[in-house]
Amino acid sequence: MNIKRVTEKEFAAWVDALTPKHTLYAPQAKEDRFAFDRLTAGEDLRLDYDVSILPPKKYFLPQKEVLIKFDRKGNFESVIAHEPFVLFGVHPYDFVAMDQLNTIFEQDNYDVHYMARKEAATVVVSDVQVASADVFAGCMGNATVEDRDGYDVLLTRLDDGSYVVETRSEKGEVLTGLLSSAVDADEVTLQQREQVWNRTREQLQKHKLEMTPEQIPALLDKSYDHPLWAEKAELCHSCGSCNLVCPTCYCFTVEDELNWDMETGQRYRQWDGCMLTGFATVTGNHNFRDKKEARYRHRYYRKGKYVWDMIGEIACVGCGRCISACTTNIANPVEVFNQLSEEQQ
Amino acid sequence: MAKPKIGIFDFACCEGCQLQIVNMEEDLLNLLALVDPVEWREAMSDQSDHYDIAIVEGSITRDEDAERLRKVRESADYVIALGACATIGGVNKLQNNFAIEDVQVMVYGDAANMPHLASTPAQAIHEVVKVDYMVHGCPIDAHELTHVVRCLLAGKQPVMPDYPVCVECKMKENGCRYEYGEVCLGPVTRAGCDARCPSNGFWCFGCRGYVDDPNLEAAASVMEQYGKTLDDLKSKMALFGSAQEHKL
Ligand code: SF4
Ligand code: SF4
Ligand code: SF4
Ligand code: SF4
Ligand code: SF4
Repeated sequence: MNIKRVTEKEFAAWVDALTPKHTLYAPQAKEDRFAFDRLTAGEDLRLDYDVSILPPKKYFLPQKEVLIKFDRKGNFESVIAHEPFVLFGVHPYDFVAMDQLNTIFEQDNYDVHYMARKEAATVVVSDVQVASADVFAGCMGNATVEDRDGYDVLLTRLDDGSYVVETRSEKGEVLTGLLSSAVDADEVTLQQREQVWNRTREQLQKHKLEMTPEQIPALLDKSYDHPLWAEKAELCHSCGSCNLVCPTCYCFTVEDELNWDMETGQRYRQWDGCMLTGFATVTGNHNFRDKKEARYRHRYYRKGKYVWDMIGEIACVGCGRCISACTTNIANPVEVFNQLSEEQQ
Repeated sequence: MAKPKIGIFDFACCEGCQLQIVNMEEDLLNLLALVDPVEWREAMSDQSDHYDIAIVEGSITRDEDAERLRKVRESADYVIALGACATIGGVNKLQNNFAIEDVQVMVYGDAANMPHLASTPAQAIHEVVKVDYMVHGCPIDAHELTHVVRCLLAGKQPVMPDYPVCVECKMKENGCRYEYGEVCLGPVTRAGCDARCPSNGFWCFGCRGYVDDPNLEAAASVMEQYGKTLDDLKSKMALFGSAQEHKL
Protein backbone atom coordinates (compact mmCIF):
# COMPACT_ATOMS: atom_id res chain seq x y z
CA MET A 1 0.00 0.00 0.00
CA ASN A 2 1.15 3.56 -0.51
CA ILE A 3 2.17 6.46 1.71
CA LYS A 4 1.63 9.97 0.37
CA ARG A 5 2.64 13.41 1.51
CA VAL A 6 -0.30 15.71 0.94
CA THR A 7 -0.24 19.49 1.24
CA GLU A 8 -2.81 21.21 3.41
CA LYS A 9 -4.62 22.44 0.30
CA GLU A 10 -4.64 19.03 -1.37
CA PHE A 11 -5.91 17.50 1.84
CA ALA A 12 -8.85 19.92 2.05
CA ALA A 13 -9.69 19.29 -1.59
CA TRP A 14 -9.60 15.53 -0.91
CA VAL A 15 -12.07 15.81 1.97
CA ASP A 16 -14.32 18.00 -0.19
CA ALA A 17 -14.22 15.32 -2.87
CA LEU A 18 -15.07 12.58 -0.36
CA THR A 19 -18.09 14.18 1.29
CA PRO A 20 -20.55 13.93 -1.61
CA LYS A 21 -19.40 10.41 -2.52
CA HIS A 22 -19.39 8.71 0.88
CA THR A 23 -21.32 8.71 4.14
CA LEU A 24 -18.67 10.23 6.37
CA TYR A 25 -18.82 10.49 10.16
CA ALA A 26 -16.15 12.78 11.51
CA PRO A 27 -15.25 14.95 14.50
CA GLN A 28 -16.91 18.36 14.46
CA ALA A 29 -17.44 21.15 16.94
CA LYS A 30 -20.36 20.75 19.34
CA GLU A 31 -20.49 24.07 21.18
CA ASP A 32 -16.97 24.21 22.59
CA ARG A 33 -16.59 20.42 22.67
CA PHE A 34 -16.33 17.90 19.88
CA ALA A 35 -18.52 15.08 18.66
CA PHE A 36 -18.57 12.66 15.73
CA ASP A 37 -21.40 13.51 13.37
CA ARG A 38 -22.31 13.22 9.70
CA LEU A 39 -19.87 15.35 7.70
CA THR A 40 -21.51 17.11 4.79
CA ALA A 41 -19.10 20.01 4.30
CA GLY A 42 -15.33 19.59 4.43
CA GLU A 43 -14.90 22.87 6.28
CA ASP A 44 -16.69 21.41 9.34
CA LEU A 45 -14.05 18.71 9.81
CA ARG A 46 -12.05 19.23 13.00
CA LEU A 47 -9.08 16.88 13.01
CA ASP A 48 -7.61 19.17 15.67
CA TYR A 49 -10.24 17.88 18.12
CA ASP A 50 -8.85 16.86 21.50
CA VAL A 51 -11.41 14.19 22.32
CA SER A 52 -15.00 13.52 21.24
CA ILE A 53 -17.63 13.51 24.02
CA LEU A 54 -18.69 10.00 23.02
CA PRO A 55 -16.30 7.58 21.35
CA PRO A 56 -16.97 6.59 17.72
CA LYS A 57 -18.12 3.15 18.90
CA LYS A 58 -21.62 4.67 18.70
CA TYR A 59 -21.54 3.86 14.98
CA PHE A 60 -21.00 0.15 15.67
CA LEU A 61 -23.09 -0.06 18.83
CA PRO A 62 -25.60 2.80 18.76
CA GLN A 63 -27.09 4.23 21.96
CA LYS A 64 -30.39 2.64 21.02
CA GLU A 65 -31.07 0.30 18.12
CA VAL A 66 -33.91 -1.93 17.01
CA LEU A 67 -32.82 -5.58 16.90
CA ILE A 68 -35.98 -7.25 15.68
CA LYS A 69 -39.50 -6.40 14.61
CA PHE A 70 -42.10 -8.85 15.87
CA ASP A 71 -45.80 -9.50 16.11
CA ARG A 72 -47.65 -11.13 18.96
CA LYS A 73 -48.29 -14.28 16.94
CA GLY A 74 -44.59 -15.01 17.25
CA ASN A 75 -43.33 -13.85 13.85
CA PHE A 76 -40.16 -11.82 13.84
CA GLU A 77 -37.54 -10.40 11.57
CA SER A 78 -34.01 -9.22 12.43
CA VAL A 79 -33.13 -5.65 11.60
CA ILE A 80 -29.57 -5.46 10.35
CA ALA A 81 -28.02 -2.27 9.04
CA HIS A 82 -25.17 -2.53 6.58
CA GLU A 83 -25.02 0.65 4.53
CA PRO A 84 -21.34 1.41 3.89
CA PHE A 85 -19.91 4.35 5.82
CA VAL A 86 -16.59 5.94 6.68
CA LEU A 87 -15.45 6.73 10.20
CA PHE A 88 -13.09 9.55 9.45
CA GLY A 89 -10.59 10.86 12.01
CA VAL A 90 -10.71 8.20 14.73
CA HIS A 91 -7.99 8.73 17.33
CA PRO A 92 -5.57 5.83 17.85
CA TYR A 93 -6.77 5.00 21.38
CA ASP A 94 -10.36 4.86 20.13
CA PHE A 95 -9.30 2.58 17.32
CA VAL A 96 -7.66 0.24 19.85
CA ALA A 97 -10.93 0.19 21.80
CA MET A 98 -12.97 -0.53 18.67
CA ASP A 99 -10.59 -3.33 17.77
CA GLN A 100 -11.15 -4.81 21.22
CA LEU A 101 -14.94 -4.59 20.85
CA ASN A 102 -14.64 -6.23 17.42
CA THR A 103 -12.91 -9.21 19.02
CA ILE A 104 -15.50 -9.48 21.77
CA PHE A 105 -18.57 -9.09 19.54
CA GLU A 106 -17.17 -11.58 17.04
CA GLN A 107 -16.36 -14.40 19.46
CA ASP A 108 -18.81 -16.61 21.34
CA ASN A 109 -22.22 -15.22 20.36
CA TYR A 110 -21.45 -13.60 17.01
CA ASP A 111 -23.38 -10.31 17.20
CA VAL A 112 -24.88 -9.87 13.72
CA HIS A 113 -26.07 -6.33 14.35
CA TYR A 114 -22.68 -5.10 15.52
CA MET A 115 -20.67 -7.07 12.99
CA ALA A 116 -22.76 -5.89 10.03
CA ARG A 117 -21.87 -2.32 10.91
CA LYS A 118 -18.25 -3.17 11.53
CA GLU A 119 -17.99 -4.85 8.11
CA ALA A 120 -19.68 -1.87 6.45
CA ALA A 121 -17.23 0.62 7.93
CA THR A 122 -14.04 2.06 6.51
CA VAL A 123 -11.93 3.38 9.37
CA VAL A 124 -9.63 6.34 8.89
CA VAL A 125 -7.41 6.86 11.92
CA SER A 126 -6.02 10.31 12.60
CA ASP A 127 -3.11 10.82 14.97
CA VAL A 128 -3.88 13.12 17.88
CA GLN A 129 -3.03 16.76 17.15
CA VAL A 130 -4.18 18.30 20.43
CA ALA A 131 -4.00 16.35 23.70
CA SER A 132 -7.13 16.47 25.85
CA ALA A 133 -6.95 17.46 29.52
CA ASP A 134 -7.13 13.94 30.92
CA VAL A 135 -5.76 11.66 28.22
CA PHE A 136 -3.21 9.03 29.29
CA ALA A 137 -3.16 6.79 26.22
CA GLY A 138 0.61 7.29 26.17
CA CYS A 139 0.89 5.29 29.42
CA MET A 140 -1.29 2.53 27.99
CA GLY A 141 0.66 2.03 24.77
CA ASN A 142 -2.21 3.43 22.70
CA ALA A 143 -1.01 6.90 21.71
CA THR A 144 -0.18 5.75 18.19
CA VAL A 145 -1.16 2.63 16.23
CA GLU A 146 1.42 2.30 13.46
CA ASP A 147 2.18 -1.25 14.64
CA ARG A 148 -1.42 -2.41 14.59
CA ASP A 149 -3.66 -3.72 11.83
CA GLY A 150 -7.35 -3.47 11.28
CA TYR A 151 -7.87 0.07 10.03
CA ASP A 152 -7.85 1.38 6.50
CA VAL A 153 -6.08 4.74 6.37
CA LEU A 154 -3.73 6.52 8.78
CA LEU A 155 -3.47 10.31 8.78
CA THR A 156 -0.62 12.15 10.49
CA ARG A 157 -0.35 15.91 10.41
CA LEU A 158 3.18 17.26 10.14
CA ASP A 159 4.32 20.56 11.62
CA ASP A 160 4.02 22.44 8.31
CA GLY A 161 0.34 21.53 8.07
CA SER A 162 0.77 18.85 5.45
CA TYR A 163 -0.49 15.32 6.03
CA VAL A 164 1.08 11.94 5.68
CA VAL A 165 -1.67 9.68 4.34
CA GLU A 166 -0.92 5.99 4.60
CA THR A 167 -3.25 3.56 2.86
CA ARG A 168 -3.54 0.32 4.78
CA SER A 169 -6.14 -1.73 2.93
CA GLU A 170 -8.17 -2.04 -0.24
CA LYS A 171 -11.08 -0.33 1.48
CA GLY A 172 -8.70 2.51 2.23
CA GLU A 173 -7.62 2.70 -1.41
CA VAL A 174 -11.15 3.51 -2.45
CA LEU A 175 -10.80 6.73 -0.47
CA THR A 176 -7.15 7.58 -1.11
CA GLY A 177 -7.49 6.79 -4.80
CA LEU A 178 -8.85 10.32 -5.14
CA LEU A 179 -5.45 11.58 -3.94
CA SER A 180 -3.47 10.12 -6.81
CA SER A 181 -1.87 13.44 -7.75
CA ALA A 182 -0.10 13.75 -4.37
CA VAL A 183 3.56 12.79 -4.13
CA ASP A 184 4.86 9.65 -2.46
CA ALA A 185 6.30 10.26 0.99
CA ASP A 186 10.10 10.36 0.96
CA GLU A 187 12.52 9.30 3.67
CA VAL A 188 12.54 12.77 5.27
CA THR A 189 8.76 12.79 5.46
CA LEU A 190 8.73 9.42 7.16
CA GLN A 191 11.27 10.65 9.71
CA GLN A 192 9.16 13.69 10.38
CA ARG A 193 6.21 11.39 10.99
CA GLU A 194 8.29 9.34 13.45
CA GLN A 195 9.04 12.56 15.32
CA VAL A 196 5.36 13.44 15.52
CA TRP A 197 4.63 9.98 16.91
CA ASN A 198 7.38 10.22 19.51
CA ARG A 199 6.11 13.57 20.63
CA THR A 200 2.52 12.33 20.75
CA ARG A 201 3.48 9.36 22.93
CA GLU A 202 5.04 11.82 25.39
CA GLN A 203 2.17 14.29 25.29
CA LEU A 204 -0.64 11.84 25.85
CA GLN A 205 0.35 11.26 29.46
CA LYS A 206 -1.68 13.84 31.39
CA HIS A 207 -1.89 11.31 34.18
CA LYS A 208 1.12 9.10 34.88
CA LEU A 209 0.53 5.43 35.45
CA GLU A 210 3.27 4.21 37.76
CA MET A 211 3.38 0.71 36.30
CA THR A 212 3.12 -0.98 32.94
CA PRO A 213 -0.42 -1.78 31.84
CA GLU A 214 0.42 -5.50 31.92
CA GLN A 215 1.00 -5.25 35.67
CA ILE A 216 -2.58 -4.14 36.37
CA PRO A 217 -4.22 -7.61 36.38
CA ALA A 218 -1.81 -8.93 39.02
CA LEU A 219 -2.28 -5.78 41.07
CA LEU A 220 -6.03 -6.25 41.04
CA ASP A 221 -5.62 -9.90 42.00
CA LYS A 222 -4.36 -8.64 45.36
CA SER A 223 -6.73 -5.70 45.81
CA TYR A 224 -10.23 -7.11 46.07
CA ASP A 225 -10.65 -6.26 49.76
CA HIS A 226 -8.83 -2.94 49.66
CA PRO A 227 -10.60 -0.13 51.62
CA LEU A 228 -10.20 2.21 48.64
CA TRP A 229 -13.32 0.85 46.92
CA ALA A 230 -15.67 1.84 49.72
CA GLU A 231 -13.89 5.13 50.38
CA LYS A 232 -14.11 6.33 46.78
CA ALA A 233 -17.62 4.98 46.27
CA GLU A 234 -18.91 7.27 49.04
CA LEU A 235 -19.01 10.02 46.42
CA CYS A 236 -20.51 7.89 43.66
CA HIS A 237 -23.84 8.93 42.13
CA SER A 238 -24.28 5.60 40.34
CA CYS A 239 -24.84 7.83 37.32
CA GLY A 240 -23.00 5.64 34.85
CA SER A 241 -21.34 8.60 33.11
CA CYS A 242 -17.98 6.83 33.41
CA ASN A 243 -19.46 3.80 31.61
CA LEU A 244 -21.34 5.65 28.94
CA VAL A 245 -18.42 7.70 27.68
CA CYS A 246 -16.02 4.75 27.71
CA PRO A 247 -14.93 3.37 24.34
CA THR A 248 -14.53 -0.17 25.72
CA CYS A 249 -17.81 -0.39 27.63
CA TYR A 250 -20.32 -2.45 25.67
CA CYS A 251 -23.13 -3.42 28.03
CA PHE A 252 -26.69 -3.02 26.89
CA THR A 253 -30.19 -3.78 28.06
CA VAL A 254 -32.98 -5.19 25.90
CA GLU A 255 -36.62 -4.04 25.92
CA ASP A 256 -39.74 -4.74 23.88
CA GLU A 257 -42.06 -2.00 22.74
CA LEU A 258 -45.60 -2.41 21.32
CA ASN A 259 -46.97 -0.23 18.55
CA TRP A 260 -50.38 1.40 18.60
CA ASP A 261 -51.95 -1.56 16.82
CA MET A 262 -51.11 -3.55 19.97
CA GLU A 263 -50.10 -6.42 17.68
CA THR A 264 -46.71 -5.48 16.25
CA GLY A 265 -43.69 -4.12 18.02
CA GLN A 266 -39.94 -3.96 18.17
CA ARG A 267 -37.24 -5.25 20.41
CA TYR A 268 -34.48 -2.73 20.91
CA ARG A 269 -31.29 -2.56 22.86
CA GLN A 270 -29.93 0.46 24.61
CA TRP A 271 -26.66 1.24 26.39
CA ASP A 272 -26.47 0.15 30.00
CA GLY A 273 -23.69 0.53 32.55
CA CYS A 274 -22.38 -1.53 35.45
CA MET A 275 -22.34 1.56 37.70
CA LEU A 276 -26.13 1.91 37.56
CA THR A 277 -28.00 0.69 40.63
CA GLY A 278 -30.22 -1.80 38.81
CA PHE A 279 -27.57 -3.17 36.42
CA ALA A 280 -27.14 -6.50 38.20
CA THR A 281 -30.80 -6.97 39.13
CA VAL A 282 -32.15 -10.29 37.92
CA THR A 283 -35.51 -12.05 38.01
CA GLY A 284 -37.13 -11.93 41.43
CA ASN A 285 -35.62 -8.51 42.06
CA HIS A 286 -32.30 -9.91 43.30
CA ASN A 287 -29.46 -7.46 42.85
CA PHE A 288 -26.14 -9.21 43.16
CA ARG A 289 -24.24 -5.90 43.21
CA ASP A 290 -26.58 -3.75 45.24
CA LYS A 291 -23.83 -1.81 47.07
CA LYS A 292 -22.21 1.07 45.27
CA GLU A 293 -18.75 0.03 46.42
CA ALA A 294 -19.28 -3.34 44.77
CA ARG A 295 -20.31 -1.65 41.54
CA TYR A 296 -17.45 0.83 41.81
CA ARG A 297 -14.92 -1.96 42.26
CA HIS A 298 -16.45 -3.99 39.48
CA ARG A 299 -15.77 -1.30 36.91
CA TYR A 300 -12.04 -1.30 37.66
CA TYR A 301 -11.89 -5.08 37.57
CA ARG A 302 -13.73 -5.00 34.31
CA LYS A 303 -11.15 -2.56 32.92
CA GLY A 304 -8.03 -4.12 34.41
CA LYS A 305 -8.62 -7.81 34.85
CA TYR A 306 -11.79 -9.49 33.55
CA VAL A 307 -11.27 -8.57 29.89
CA TRP A 308 -7.58 -9.40 30.32
CA ASP A 309 -8.56 -12.85 31.54
CA MET A 310 -10.90 -13.20 28.58
CA ILE A 311 -8.82 -11.94 25.62
CA GLY A 312 -5.49 -10.74 27.05
CA GLU A 313 -6.17 -7.03 26.65
CA ILE A 314 -6.56 -4.22 29.18
CA ALA A 315 -10.01 -2.69 28.75
CA CYS A 316 -8.84 0.84 29.40
CA VAL A 317 -7.20 2.54 26.45
CA GLY A 318 -6.42 5.75 28.33
CA CYS A 319 -8.81 8.15 26.58
CA GLY A 320 -9.46 9.97 29.86
CA ARG A 321 -13.16 10.49 29.12
CA CYS A 322 -14.35 8.95 32.40
CA ILE A 323 -12.08 11.28 34.34
CA SER A 324 -13.66 14.36 32.82
CA ALA A 325 -17.19 12.94 32.89
CA CYS A 326 -17.35 12.12 36.60
CA THR A 327 -18.80 15.14 38.38
CA THR A 328 -17.39 14.00 41.74
CA ASN A 329 -13.93 13.19 40.38
CA ILE A 330 -13.65 9.60 41.51
CA ALA A 331 -13.48 7.83 38.17
CA ASN A 332 -9.77 8.22 37.35
CA PRO A 333 -8.30 4.76 36.62
CA VAL A 334 -4.70 6.00 36.90
CA GLU A 335 -5.32 7.43 40.35
CA VAL A 336 -6.96 4.21 41.51
CA PHE A 337 -4.31 1.86 40.09
CA ASN A 338 -1.47 4.04 41.44
CA GLN A 339 -3.01 4.22 44.89
CA LEU A 340 -3.58 0.46 45.01
CA SER A 341 0.00 -0.07 43.93
CA GLU A 342 1.46 2.29 46.53
CA GLU A 343 -0.54 0.74 49.31
CA GLN A 344 0.59 -2.76 48.36
CA GLN A 345 4.21 -1.94 49.19
CA MET B 1 -65.01 -6.37 23.83
CA ALA B 2 -65.78 -2.95 25.26
CA LYS B 3 -62.89 -0.55 25.29
CA PRO B 4 -61.23 0.03 28.68
CA LYS B 5 -62.64 3.07 30.46
CA ILE B 6 -60.23 5.80 31.35
CA GLY B 7 -60.82 8.77 33.65
CA ILE B 8 -58.62 11.84 34.01
CA PHE B 9 -58.85 13.71 37.31
CA ASP B 10 -57.13 16.88 38.37
CA PHE B 11 -56.20 18.31 41.75
CA ALA B 12 -53.91 21.21 42.68
CA CYS B 13 -51.84 21.89 39.55
CA CYS B 14 -51.56 24.05 36.48
CA GLU B 15 -53.17 21.40 34.24
CA GLY B 16 -50.13 21.69 32.03
CA CYS B 17 -49.75 17.93 32.00
CA GLN B 18 -53.28 17.38 30.72
CA LEU B 19 -52.54 19.97 28.10
CA GLN B 20 -49.69 17.75 26.92
CA ILE B 21 -52.27 15.01 26.34
CA VAL B 22 -54.62 17.34 24.47
CA ASN B 23 -51.66 18.43 22.35
CA MET B 24 -50.67 14.89 21.34
CA GLU B 25 -52.57 15.37 18.04
CA GLU B 26 -52.24 12.16 16.05
CA ASP B 27 -51.31 10.07 19.07
CA LEU B 28 -54.42 11.31 20.85
CA LEU B 29 -56.49 9.68 18.12
CA ASN B 30 -54.40 6.52 18.46
CA LEU B 31 -55.05 6.54 22.18
CA LEU B 32 -58.78 7.13 21.75
CA ALA B 33 -58.92 4.15 19.40
CA LEU B 34 -57.84 1.98 22.33
CA VAL B 35 -59.59 3.49 25.33
CA ASP B 36 -62.86 5.16 26.10
CA PRO B 37 -62.49 8.37 28.11
CA VAL B 38 -65.44 8.58 30.50
CA GLU B 39 -64.32 11.43 32.71
CA TRP B 40 -62.14 14.24 31.51
CA ARG B 41 -63.04 17.70 32.65
CA GLU B 42 -60.61 19.42 30.34
CA ALA B 43 -62.07 17.78 27.23
CA MET B 44 -65.51 16.30 27.96
CA SER B 45 -68.24 15.83 30.53
CA ASP B 46 -69.23 12.12 30.76
CA GLN B 47 -68.82 10.26 34.06
CA SER B 48 -68.67 6.68 35.27
CA ASP B 49 -68.56 4.73 38.54
CA HIS B 50 -65.84 2.36 37.35
CA TYR B 51 -62.57 3.11 35.58
CA ASP B 52 -60.08 0.62 34.22
CA ILE B 53 -57.46 3.32 34.43
CA ALA B 54 -57.64 6.55 36.43
CA ILE B 55 -55.07 9.17 35.49
CA VAL B 56 -54.59 11.61 38.33
CA GLU B 57 -52.94 14.99 37.94
CA GLY B 58 -52.05 17.46 40.69
CA SER B 59 -51.24 17.46 44.39
CA ILE B 60 -53.54 17.01 47.35
CA THR B 61 -53.82 20.26 49.31
CA ARG B 62 -57.27 20.05 50.92
CA ASP B 63 -59.08 17.47 53.03
CA GLU B 64 -61.96 17.26 50.58
CA ASP B 65 -59.48 16.56 47.76
CA ALA B 66 -58.05 13.68 49.72
CA GLU B 67 -61.58 12.36 50.10
CA ARG B 68 -62.30 12.70 46.37
CA LEU B 69 -59.01 10.97 45.55
CA ARG B 70 -59.91 8.02 47.79
CA LYS B 71 -63.17 7.65 45.89
CA VAL B 72 -61.27 7.69 42.59
CA ARG B 73 -58.96 5.01 43.92
CA GLU B 74 -61.88 2.83 45.01
CA SER B 75 -63.48 2.97 41.59
CA ALA B 76 -60.32 2.38 39.53
CA ASP B 77 -58.35 -0.77 38.69
CA TYR B 78 -55.18 1.15 37.98
CA VAL B 79 -54.16 4.60 39.15
CA ILE B 80 -51.52 6.48 37.20
CA ALA B 81 -50.07 9.60 38.81
CA LEU B 82 -49.48 12.16 36.09
CA GLY B 83 -46.81 14.85 36.32
CA ALA B 84 -44.60 16.16 39.09
CA CYS B 85 -47.49 17.64 41.11
CA ALA B 86 -48.99 14.16 41.38
CA THR B 87 -45.85 11.99 41.53
CA ILE B 88 -43.72 13.97 43.98
CA GLY B 89 -45.80 16.96 45.04
CA GLY B 90 -43.80 19.15 42.69
CA VAL B 91 -43.82 22.91 43.04
CA ASN B 92 -46.85 22.70 45.36
CA LYS B 93 -44.55 21.38 48.07
CA LEU B 94 -42.72 24.69 48.17
CA GLN B 95 -45.51 25.71 50.56
CA ASN B 96 -44.52 22.91 52.93
CA ASN B 97 -41.36 24.89 53.71
CA PHE B 98 -43.56 27.32 55.68
CA ALA B 99 -46.28 27.14 58.32
CA ILE B 100 -49.60 26.58 56.56
CA GLU B 101 -51.21 29.58 58.35
CA ASP B 102 -48.52 31.89 56.97
CA VAL B 103 -48.96 30.46 53.50
CA GLN B 104 -52.71 31.09 53.63
CA VAL B 105 -52.16 34.74 54.56
CA MET B 106 -49.47 35.14 51.88
CA VAL B 107 -51.82 33.81 49.21
CA TYR B 108 -55.30 34.92 50.28
CA GLY B 109 -54.54 37.98 52.47
CA ASP B 110 -57.63 39.09 54.40
CA ALA B 111 -59.66 36.12 53.18
CA ALA B 112 -57.18 33.63 54.66
CA ASN B 113 -59.59 32.36 57.28
CA MET B 114 -62.55 31.66 55.01
CA PRO B 115 -63.45 27.98 55.52
CA HIS B 116 -63.55 27.13 51.81
CA LEU B 117 -59.94 28.28 51.47
CA ALA B 118 -58.60 26.01 54.19
CA SER B 119 -55.68 24.02 52.88
CA THR B 120 -53.26 21.37 54.10
CA PRO B 121 -49.56 20.84 53.37
CA ALA B 122 -49.22 19.53 49.79
CA GLN B 123 -49.05 15.78 49.28
CA ALA B 124 -48.16 13.65 46.29
CA ILE B 125 -50.85 11.19 45.20
CA HIS B 126 -49.04 8.13 46.56
CA GLU B 127 -48.88 9.80 49.97
CA VAL B 128 -52.67 9.52 50.12
CA VAL B 129 -53.59 6.41 48.12
CA LYS B 130 -51.80 3.51 46.47
CA VAL B 131 -50.47 4.45 43.02
CA ASP B 132 -49.73 1.82 40.40
CA TYR B 133 -47.66 3.83 37.96
CA MET B 134 -46.02 7.20 37.87
CA VAL B 135 -45.42 9.36 34.85
CA HIS B 136 -42.96 11.94 36.11
CA GLY B 137 -42.05 15.38 34.86
CA CYS B 138 -43.16 18.99 34.82
CA PRO B 139 -44.68 18.78 32.39
CA ILE B 140 -44.92 15.11 31.41
CA ASP B 141 -43.76 13.73 28.10
CA ALA B 142 -46.98 12.45 26.53
CA HIS B 143 -45.11 9.60 24.83
CA GLU B 144 -44.20 8.20 28.20
CA LEU B 145 -47.86 8.24 29.23
CA THR B 146 -48.98 6.48 26.08
CA HIS B 147 -46.20 3.93 26.51
CA VAL B 148 -47.41 3.20 30.04
CA VAL B 149 -51.03 2.90 28.88
CA ARG B 150 -50.05 0.52 26.05
CA CYS B 151 -48.04 -1.59 28.49
CA LEU B 152 -51.00 -1.77 30.90
CA LEU B 153 -53.41 -2.75 28.13
CA ALA B 154 -50.97 -5.46 27.02
CA GLY B 155 -50.62 -6.77 30.56
CA LYS B 156 -46.97 -5.78 30.67
CA GLN B 157 -45.17 -4.00 33.50
CA PRO B 158 -43.85 -0.64 32.27
CA VAL B 159 -40.25 -0.01 33.28
CA MET B 160 -39.62 3.27 35.05
CA PRO B 161 -35.96 4.32 35.02
CA ASP B 162 -34.17 4.24 38.35
CA TYR B 163 -31.04 5.84 37.00
CA PRO B 164 -30.10 9.51 36.83
CA VAL B 165 -30.62 11.97 33.99
CA CYS B 166 -26.84 11.82 33.32
CA VAL B 167 -27.37 8.48 31.55
CA GLU B 168 -29.63 10.01 28.92
CA CYS B 169 -27.57 13.18 28.87
CA LYS B 170 -24.43 11.25 28.01
CA MET B 171 -26.29 9.25 25.38
CA LYS B 172 -27.30 12.56 23.82
CA GLU B 173 -23.59 13.49 23.80
CA ASN B 174 -24.08 16.75 25.66
CA GLY B 175 -21.28 18.67 27.24
CA CYS B 176 -21.77 18.52 31.01
CA ARG B 177 -23.19 21.64 32.67
CA TYR B 178 -20.65 21.24 35.46
CA GLU B 179 -17.90 21.78 32.90
CA TYR B 180 -19.60 25.09 32.11
CA GLY B 181 -19.54 26.11 35.77
CA GLU B 182 -23.21 25.37 36.45
CA VAL B 183 -24.90 23.26 39.11
CA CYS B 184 -27.00 20.53 37.51
CA LEU B 185 -29.31 18.18 39.42
CA GLY B 186 -28.97 15.49 36.75
CA PRO B 187 -26.85 13.12 38.88
CA VAL B 188 -29.59 12.79 41.53
CA THR B 189 -32.68 13.11 39.32
CA ARG B 190 -34.65 10.22 37.82
CA ALA B 191 -34.18 9.86 34.06
CA GLY B 192 -36.91 9.36 31.48
CA CYS B 193 -37.08 12.79 29.85
CA ASP B 194 -34.19 12.18 27.44
CA ALA B 195 -32.25 14.80 29.36
CA ARG B 196 -34.53 17.48 27.99
CA CYS B 197 -32.87 20.42 29.76
CA PRO B 198 -29.14 19.69 29.39
CA SER B 199 -29.80 18.83 25.73
CA ASN B 200 -30.97 22.40 25.34
CA GLY B 201 -28.06 23.96 27.19
CA PHE B 202 -29.81 24.25 30.55
CA TRP B 203 -29.12 22.49 33.85
CA CYS B 204 -31.57 19.88 35.12
CA PHE B 205 -33.76 21.32 37.87
CA GLY B 206 -34.97 17.94 39.02
CA CYS B 207 -38.58 17.94 37.85
CA ARG B 208 -38.79 14.13 37.69
CA GLY B 209 -37.89 13.80 41.35
CA TYR B 210 -34.95 12.02 42.89
CA VAL B 211 -33.78 8.55 41.92
CA ASP B 212 -34.61 5.93 44.57
CA ASP B 213 -31.34 6.42 46.43
CA PRO B 214 -29.91 9.84 45.54
CA ASN B 215 -26.44 10.66 46.80
CA LEU B 216 -27.22 14.23 47.86
CA GLU B 217 -24.16 14.34 50.11
CA ALA B 218 -21.94 13.63 47.12
CA ALA B 219 -23.58 16.47 45.21
CA ALA B 220 -23.03 18.78 48.18
CA SER B 221 -19.44 17.71 48.71
CA VAL B 222 -18.25 18.91 45.31
CA MET B 223 -19.84 22.37 45.35
CA GLU B 224 -16.69 24.06 46.58
CA GLN B 225 -14.61 22.41 43.92
CA TYR B 226 -16.84 23.97 41.27
CA GLY B 227 -16.67 27.38 42.97
CA LYS B 228 -20.23 27.00 44.28
CA THR B 229 -21.75 26.97 47.74
CA LEU B 230 -24.10 24.60 49.50
CA ASP B 231 -26.78 27.31 49.19
CA ASP B 232 -26.36 27.32 45.41
CA LEU B 233 -27.23 23.64 45.44
CA LYS B 234 -30.02 23.95 47.96
CA SER B 235 -31.69 26.77 46.10
CA LYS B 236 -31.75 24.60 42.95
CA MET B 237 -33.21 21.74 44.95
CA ALA B 238 -36.03 23.78 46.49
CA LEU B 239 -38.25 23.84 43.41
CA PHE B 240 -38.84 20.10 43.09
CA GLY B 241 -36.97 18.79 46.12
CA SER B 242 -39.00 20.46 48.88
CA ALA B 243 -40.53 18.16 51.52
CA GLN B 244 -39.18 15.03 49.83
CA GLU B 245 -38.18 11.84 51.58
CA HIS B 246 -34.51 12.56 50.79
CA LYS B 247 -33.09 15.88 51.88
CA LEU B 248 -29.77 17.55 52.51
S1 SF4 C 1 -11.84 3.57 31.61
FE1 SF4 C 1 -11.87 5.77 31.29
S2 SF4 C 1 -9.89 6.28 30.44
FE2 SF4 C 1 -10.13 4.08 30.29
S3 SF4 C 1 -10.93 3.78 28.23
FE3 SF4 C 1 -12.69 3.91 29.60
S4 SF4 C 1 -13.28 6.07 29.59
FE4 SF4 C 1 -11.24 5.93 28.71
S1 SF4 D 1 -17.77 6.98 39.39
FE1 SF4 D 1 -18.45 9.04 38.89
S2 SF4 D 1 -19.20 8.94 36.78
FE2 SF4 D 1 -19.02 6.85 37.55
S3 SF4 D 1 -21.07 6.35 38.33
FE3 SF4 D 1 -19.88 7.13 40.06
S4 SF4 D 1 -20.30 9.32 40.10
FE4 SF4 D 1 -20.97 8.58 38.10
S1 SF4 E 1 -46.42 18.84 36.93
FE1 SF4 E 1 -45.97 20.88 36.18
S2 SF4 E 1 -47.00 20.98 34.21
FE2 SF4 E 1 -47.86 19.24 35.31
S3 SF4 E 1 -49.60 20.04 36.34
FE3 SF4 E 1 -47.93 20.18 37.79
S4 SF4 E 1 -47.12 22.24 37.52
FE4 SF4 E 1 -48.41 21.81 35.76
S1 SF4 F 1 -25.20 18.07 32.40
FE1 SF4 F 1 -26.23 17.36 34.24
S2 SF4 F 1 -27.36 15.56 33.55
FE2 SF4 F 1 -25.82 15.98 32.01
S3 SF4 F 1 -24.07 14.71 32.60
FE3 SF4 F 1 -23.76 16.75 33.51
S4 SF4 F 1 -24.60 16.56 35.56
FE4 SF4 F 1 -25.42 14.85 34.38
S1 SF4 G 1 -33.64 17.45 32.56
FE1 SF4 G 1 -34.32 17.49 34.70
S2 SF4 G 1 -35.59 19.29 34.89
FE2 SF4 G 1 -35.35 18.88 32.71
S3 SF4 G 1 -37.10 17.62 32.15
FE3 SF4 G 1 -35.48 16.21 32.70
S4 SF4 G 1 -35.75 15.80 34.89
FE4 SF4 G 1 -36.95 17.62 34.39
